[in-house]
Amino acid sequence: MENTIKVERAILNITQDDLAKRIGVSRQTINSIEANRYVPSTVLALKLSQVFNKPVNDFFKLNPDD
Amino acid sequence: MSNKSFMECERTKLERWSQFQLANNWKTIGATICLLTLLTLIGIKFIDTEPSWLRDVLKRVLLVGLLIVVLSKEKVEDEMLQSLRAKAFTLAFIFGVLYSLVQPLADYVVHNYIYEASKENTFSYFQVLSFMLLVQIMFFEVLKRNR
Repeated sequence: MENTIKVERAILNITQDDLAKRIGVSRQTINSIEANRYVPSTVLALKLSQVFNKPVNDFFKLNPDD
Repeated sequence: MSNKSFMECERTKLERWSQFQLANNWKTIGATICLLTLLTLIGIKFIDTEPSWLRDVLKRVLLVGLLIVVLSKEKVEDEMLQSLRAKAFTLAFIFGVLYSLVQPLADYVVHNYIYEASKENTFSYFQVLSFMLLVQIMFFEVLKRNR
């Protein structure tokens, strides 16, 4: 799975730490999600969707391998 | 109680137990218990008149200390850390089983071929449990550092 969280974060002009605080996780977790090392749960994806004010499909994309 | 509500009750209880964790400050308490117990265990090696029960009690206390460290939350405990913790538990379980399979064999080889033959080539619950708990702590720290 790929994501454009880094881009969405840049649009809102917030740091990884700010985003982490808004959705109640650690900064390292945001870093791992951005680097595609960790796929978040549905709950976390919906929290991100609330912060970015966009549907989840806009910033999470399935790979052909998924 | 109907079959359905019994299943629901069982599921809820299991869910609650599987999510049991101690607060972050318990990690320091657990580590302190481990350190003090370890130092005492080393210390009693040099005492001639050591009570027979003391070593067993200290080993149990050490296991409790390690268990407290394993069950303690991190400062920011999120879903990723929970998933890493679960991975560490899985690895610790697999390594624990492998250890208990290989250890008697290694003991047998060491005692019968390298040293003199001995009948006391068994291993204790303490060895296996402390090994599993230490492996869990080690893998969790490694996974956490590389996340």
